[in-house]
Amino acid sequence: MEKPVIEFKNIGKSFSGNAVLEGISFSIQPGEIHAIMGENGAGKSTLLNILHGIYTPTAGEVFLAGERTAFSSIQDAIEKGIFKVHQEVSVIPALTVGQNITLGYEPQKGLFVDYARLNEETDAILQRLKCHFRSTDKASKLSTGEMQMLAIAKALFHKAQVISFDEPTAALSDNEVNAFFDVVRELKASGITIIYVTHRLNEIFQIVDRVSILRDGRYIGTYKVADITREQLIKSMVGRDVAAFAVRQHQGLVQAETVLEVRNLAREGVFSPVSFQLHKGELLGFAGLVGAKRTDVMRVLFGADKKTSGEIFVKGRKAEIKSPVDALRQGIGLIPENRKTQGMVRMLTNADNVGLASIKKFCRLGFVNHAQKQKNCETFIEQINLSPRDPLYITENLSGGNQQKVVIAKWLSTDADILIFDEPTKGVDVGAKAEIYRLMEELLAKGKSIIMVSSEMMEIIGMSDRVLVMREGSLEAELSREELTEERVLHFAMGGEDSFENECNAAHK
Amino acid sequence: MKTNAMQLINKLGREFGIVIALFVIVAIFSAIDSQYFTVANLVDIIDQSTINGLLAIGITFVIITAGIDLSVGSILAIVVVLIGKLLTNMGVDPITATLAGIVLGFLLGIFNGFLVTRLKLQPFIATLGTMSVYRGIAYIITGGWPVLNMPQAFRDMLDGDFFAIFRLSILILFVFAILAYILMRYTRFGNYVYAIGSNEEATRLSGVNVDYHKLMTYGLCGIGAALAGMVMLARLGTGEPAAGQGYELNAIAAAAIGGTSLAGGKGTIIGTLLGALLLSALKVGLVVVGVDAFWQYIATGGIIVAAAYFEVIQTRLRG
Repeated sequence: MEKPVIEFKNIGKSFSGNAVLEGISFSIQPGEIHAIMGENGAGKSTLLNILHGIYTPTAGEVFLAGERTAFSSIQDAIEKGIFKVHQEVSVIPALTVGQNITLGYEPQKGLFVDYARLNEETDAILQRLKCHFRSTDKASKLSTGEMQMLAIAKALFHKAQVISFDEPTAALSDNEVNAFFDVVRELKASGITIIYVTHRLNEIFQIVDRVSILRDGRYIGTYKVADITREQLIKSMVGRDVAAFAVRQHQGLVQAETVLEVRNLAREGVFSPVSFQLHKGELLGFAGLVGAKRTDVMRVLFGADKKTSGEIFVKGRKAEIKSPVDALRQGIGLIPENRKTQGMVRMLTNADNVGLASIKKFCRLGFVNHAQKQKNCETFIEQINLSPRDPLYITENLSGGNQQKVVIAKWLSTDADILIFDEPTKGVDVGAKAEIYRLMEELLAKGKSIIMVSSEMMEIIGMSDRVLVMREGSLEAELSREELTEERVLHFAMGGEDSFENECNAAHK
Repeated sequence: MKTNAMQLINKLGREFGIVIALFVIVAIFSAIDSQYFTVANLVDIIDQSTINGLLAIGITFVIITAGIDLSVGSILAIVVVLIGKLLTNMGVDPITATLAGIVLGFLLGIFNGFLVTRLKLQPFIATLGTMSVYRGIAYIITGGWPVLNMPQAFRDMLDGDFFAIFRLSILILFVFAILAYILMRYTRFGNYVYAIGSNEEATRLSGVNVDYHKLMTYGLCGIGAALAGMVMLARLGTGEPAAGQGYELNAIAAAAIGGTSLAGGKGTIIGTLLGALLLSALKVGLVVVGVDAFWQYIATGGIIVAAAYFEVIQTRLRG
């Protein structure tokens, strides 16, 4: 074996007495793609932050190419060739691409920035990455996938030898993911070491060489991806069997009654008229690539955005939904795509967040009965298996999966009959995912109806009773459970016969 | 042991910190001049905080929604001159005039709220505009002249003696504060106001009528300004169109010292009330001790910065 490029020796980290990491020892070989996996709260991000000099470990040492190192800051790490591409890529929209890439290290000519050189250098890097945007473009015009490329370009600008990615594909469409993988493979070919933190199992088997598993802040093991199965991987992450977690345990919950009918609902300039029905006890999946405008349909349906035409019928009666207030009254709930900005209220407790949409339940003459509100939260804590089980805990401090459960509980508390889940398991760990699926099934069994927007194929295929596929703002196909295959969904999501061509176009956009 | 003490301070929170600061200030001034620690003087401190306290409580509602109202001083001025006219020129009875003042303040506040929620203007800019417009209206109403000779009945009603110790205006402040406290702490309205300030979009998507609640906070802020204006009118016996100039900043200072975050979602009525008392204790103290008036500005500023820094330390301790 070659000398490892990075070696962790007995790393430990505590925050105010709580051990988050303990005795982590493993090494990363030069030029490999090395994944770090584990549930939320397993300590992956903390370990990365130690590597990048954001945290100092409370125990143990990090060796870089055999030499003991202790970075004092992220700048320090960057200058030693270790670069981090953040979970939510941070781009300054007001600057150009080139200014973003060179930020803090702009080539100077006397007192001034040497823009000619700056643009020349960054364009060379962008060309190498086969990007279709240029140094002088405004960063605000980039898509999510392009912003990711910008971050990689920044790493190359700093001549990084090691690049770490924290959930790089979380916000990307399938096309963008493929383009991203191509770039990662090329980086590897040029000798750059890649550290890869992800929740997505598929990706591990697509591009990763070796994977190290953390669980509850401890090191479990490092495996060659070629030698390990999916089930083994899950098992070592959660320490228990989560056999086929995105699979329905109960079928045939769908009843004849139509609870929601949407007729020619449209928002001009965003999506063209869509019509569909939702039945009692049904889970209707909305598939499509990122940018298919599925979220926009849901927002209009929920009254968060204005419709330009169309009608909505709830339980056979015409419903005027002009704002979320109306949707709530009609018994429609929305678990939005972005938990942090749209789902939970940061500074509130679990009890407040759970009670936010249903506060009238424990109000008399406008006065809130706090004890009742807390009790209400406790019953849902039980149902959603929240951890920690504390109604007075600030929701913001929970792990991603538990935050999501609180947002779901908010709508359960309203007793809404129609629940819209928009990307319900985005950024959620494997264990919590399984629990969210179980919860959805429980709701269906109780006669609730669910619309699920998801970009995760496994989820769409595994959970839906029926799937609608959208592409670029229009409804392309309806697939029954029997017709459902990954290929079929992709076929319609990318646009029929000429799908390959479209895929290429989308990748270039 | 040390961490326990820290946790205790954290738990008791901001209000406790201000109470301590208040004690420290009182202790220091009392040590310098025994005149300071007399019943008459302590009552004076509360008296001096009435007008700012009313303004500050009103503005706290708005700031918790992550908004701001710079026009409170100008609302106060309109109320002062218009209610002054009602009482003198038109001979309206004090009770009707007072109620009219409250409604007037509410409507002026609601107009601010309309600019913010309907026209989607940034609160700072919207109320910067109305600050000037309202001030202009106050001048136009009187042609620039003060309104003189308020009826004694009105003056006694709002600012007369209360058991020969307090002035009645203190009662107005405390009733308003208690109502505001109950509203923020125990009602759905209060719950929503905090939620809106912390994450407006998530609150909207929870089926809460965000615009209505924001509108109401501006209305309540206007009521606070109107009450402050009428107390001032009763106290001075004259209504100047220039009244309340710059008061909005003192009100914001009291709220900020009391722990209200200008970023929204955080703050309490008790904190604001204590903040107003603290500013007043400081001001009265400097006068009693005989410090040059110019130094008051520096001391007030120093307290604001110190309170903000206390906040930073507290957040760090928690993290």
